[in-house]
Amino acid sequence: MLKTRTLLLAVAAALAASTTFAAAQDKARVAFVPQIVGIPYFDAMQQGGEQAAKKLGVEFVYQGPVDTNPVDQLQIVQNLINQGVEAISVSVLDASSLAPVVEAAKAKDIKLFTSDSDAPDSGRALYVAQASDQGLGYTIIDEMVKRAGEDAKIGIVSGEATASNLNAWIGYMQERVKEKYPNVTLLDPQFAGGSAERAAQIAGDMMASNPDLKGIIAVASTTCPGVAQAIETAGKIGAVVGTGYCSPNTARAYLKSGAFGYSVLWDPSELGYLTVWAGKQLIDGKTIPAETTPEGMSHPVTYDDKTGILLLGDPAVFTADNVDDFNF
Amino acid sequence: MSSRTSLTLPILAGLWILIVAGLAILQPSAMALSTVTTVLQFSTLLALVSLGQAMVILGGGAGIDLSVGGTVSLVAIIAMLLDTAGVPSFLLPVVCLVAGTLLGLVNGILVTRLRLLPLIATLGTFYVYSGTALAITGGSAIGGAPAYLLPWGRGTLAGFPLPFVTLVLPLFVLAVLLLRYTAWGRWIYAFGFNERSARLVGIPVDRARFIAYGFSGLMAGLAALVSLAWLGSARPNIGQNLELTSLTAVMLGGVAIFGGRGGLVGVLAAVLLLVTLQTGLLQLNVNTIWQVGIIGALLILVLLVDNIRMIRRTA
Amino acid sequence: MGAIVRQIGERELLLGAACIVALLLFSLISPYFLTATNILTVLRNCNELFLIGLGMTVVLGIGGIDVSVGVVMGLAAIAVGRLLQADAGPLLSGLAGPLAGGVIGLVTASVVVLGRIPAIVATLGLFGVYRAAVFLALGGAWLSGLPTDLTSVLGAPVLGIPVALPVVAIAYLIVFVVIRHTPFGLHVLATGNSEVKARLSGVSVRRVQFTAYVISGICCGLAASFYIATYRNVAMTIGGTLALEAIAAVILGGTSILGGRMSLLGTALGVLLLRILQNGLLLVGVPSLWQPVVTGLLLILVLGTEAGRGRFDAASLTRHLRRPGRQGAAG
Repeated sequence: MLKTRTLLLAVAAALAASTTFAAAQDKARVAFVPQIVGIPYFDAMQQGGEQAAKKLGVEFVYQGPVDTNPVDQLQIVQNLINQGVEAISVSVLDASSLAPVVEAAKAKDIKLFTSDSDAPDSGRALYVAQASDQGLGYTIIDEMVKRAGEDAKIGIVSGEATASNLNAWIGYMQERVKEKYPNVTLLDPQFAGGSAERAAQIAGDMMASNPDLKGIIAVASTTCPGVAQAIETAGKIGAVVGTGYCSPNTARAYLKSGAFGYSVLWDPSELGYLTVWAGKQLIDGKTIPAETTPEGMSHPVTYDDKTGILLLGDPAVFTADNVDDFNF
Repeated sequence: MSSRTSLTLPILAGLWILIVAGLAILQPSAMALSTVTTVLQFSTLLALVSLGQAMVILGGGAGIDLSVGGTVSLVAIIAMLLDTAGVPSFLLPVVCLVAGTLLGLVNGILVTRLRLLPLIATLGTFYVYSGTALAITGGSAIGGAPAYLLPWGRGTLAGFPLPFVTLVLPLFVLAVLLLRYTAWGRWIYAFGFNERSARLVGIPVDRARFIAYGFSGLMAGLAALVSLAWLGSARPNIGQNLELTSLTAVMLGGVAIFGGRGGLVGVLAAVLLLVTLQTGLLQLNVNTIWQVGIIGALLILVLLVDNIRMIRRTA
Repeated sequence: MGAIVRQIGERELLLGAACIVALLLFSLISPYFLTATNILTVLRNCNELFLIGLGMTVVLGIGGIDVSVGVVMGLAAIAVGRLLQADAGPLLSGLAGPLAGGVIGLVTASVVVLGRIPAIVATLGLFGVYRAAVFLALGGAWLSGLPTDLTSVLGAPVLGIPVALPVVAIAYLIVFVVIRHTPFGLHVLATGNSEVKARLSGVSVRRVQFTAYVISGICCGLAASFYIATYRNVAMTIGGTLALEAIAAVILGGTSILGGRMSLLGTALGVLLLRILQNGLLLVGVPSLWQPVVTGLLLILVLGTEAGRGRFDAASLTRHLRRPGRQGAAG
């Protein structure tokens, strides 16, 4: 059949086109699996990873799901294991999602570790942390209280309700408020999934139902634009302090318009760099010292042998004044 | 109907061989038993759900089940909630089957008793089931699936994942036999193809259709059980996107969207083709977004080929 | 061809009443519900769904369906955003939305109508293709912090009302007039009612279907211009769940998914009711995760009120849907 043949040709062409992606395999490979592809945050991690790969003489593989779906992520990890990629790092969507593949990785002597979002009890080799969950949760609350006052009412807009790293940060925010700021009211977190319009809708509703709201925290980087726009659209610039864990490039326009008072983040490309570096150490079987400055990085990182956490450093706070000094 | 099924399978098989051959050339290391295991492992949930979806669609009356993904998520959550609440864990499989069937029968009632259009009814239950699963857990997974399930969920037999060998294959064989050799199976085709005549000759259309929705729920319940045994925890969004992928698999497998035509072998072939394609692209490290685009284009192309053939025949 | 556009029928009254009851109830529980800012917030959040629902009403009216509309809006939004970045000015960028939407609508129409593929399958496939296109067009990054040119035009209030509302109203009015008072409108309903009868009466069925998908594309594109004006940002996940929401709202409004019966007022009320409930529930303290559950229950309950009235006759339905070329259905 003519048409059948056309169809076959189309698929063949698609496969042929993909050969360009097929990789040479003489160098050791370090893979990173993000929670979702196509967002600036993980893009920056990819770039950092590529830099590190070039510098350290390994090959970097970047593969992630299109939706924040743990099964899709698992499928990707499983396929990387099948390919025999020597070290695989995952920003886990769900703390228990690695369980089925941990054994498979061990059996093939593949170093499976986490980066950016952890699965503590999974048996992973180590966890490359951007900053401690506690530090992130505490910092964003401390900075918020500085701006909104010690008796402020603060709302939280998160992304996927299933994301374990985001939930951990929210947990520390709540803990900080309970312990240090008894007069601050922290509203229950609301979840917008991955979409900016839902985040804006929820943030708008939140401001309407709480006219005395002083601040909104956008927990997922995907919710930052929505929250900022909601504050701008509601004409609440100055009255409500917006913030979130988002990169200077994402937050720049909002920091300048005043919708965001500040933004808390680390340099994701540095995190990507450190991830690949850690993968290389694991492949080479080297032990990581308690404090060291990895080749190609400008500052030292710390490693806790007991918890297996490799810490990038303290989170940075970006404001309208310093945001132009950064480009990521 | 026979001419259609007979052409669907060669097309799917041809495509499959093409993908495997392409992979063998571009990435020889992928030709390993572990790849087979992976493909089947990730086919299991989709195959089970697609089997139920296929039954519902075959039964006609604009039959469709958009709630399958939500059902998988909700059943997994219900089962683990009951388990942690102290229900004996050996009952967990039963809970999954019963809960799945009940949720499916709710669709059956909405469609056959309340006479809601299936698309509307199951769009409604899609929202309700998937939403409830997320809302009652606040989004977090419930860990601690009974340990006795894990060896089955993660085990393999000569490289074949146990859930695939013990559930998917027997169920598909059983369902094919059921459709081919029992009155019930012939009814499904009959009223799927021409409902009015089927009613006139006294086939209990509503009851059979009611059962078909229950069956779809049962399959979703089984998928939930497999997910528990495999992952070791219940995830409130485990069934995410399954409604659309199962629909894709069923259509690709040669089942007509309006019912009455198509076979289950094609559906299983389509599931394997889809997962092989995904695996192949992953092995070649092609960006995952291409999977979404290629699968979409494939669906359109295969139906286009089919249409042109039909027009030629009728012309 | 006895079908007419029902103007204010039972369903519209039911939805209108439901909106009012919801308004009363929420304003009793939450003092902030019935404030000007909150009402404006609700209306603002309706914009995109109003427009996408309008297009969906026409598509369902001819007996079609389109599950790719959300991503079509996303693609059009990228076009608008890129033009803004290139300093094309608000007029050109704003018009680029409906234009791009119309072009994508042409693609959808070609696949569905010329390819003779069942609409739900074809648009499911296109959904995947368009998503890949969104990713390619964005190149992995987001469009964020776009210039405010468009915002200052489309976001500006006219006599205290956001300019979006009159635009939406005009769009509805145009479609209403076209459906009610032109031969094309008659053809749309005739096609939705029974393709074969319409064809026999000399209606160019395929041209009508083609036009309906293009209209839907234009509506999505217009929604994209408003989206950009409001959010000044395009993420890769844009519009992912909008299609199902739009279908839910349109069905709620009383438009028949089988074609031949459509209600524009119903669609608008359906959108409004969904958004009022989502807003109100959050205001009275129900976690946002419950919102889809409410949407689903609403769909089943409202449509369930028609139960047993014989509106859905499965037997005639199967014949109605059978290909190639639909046979007559009793509507």
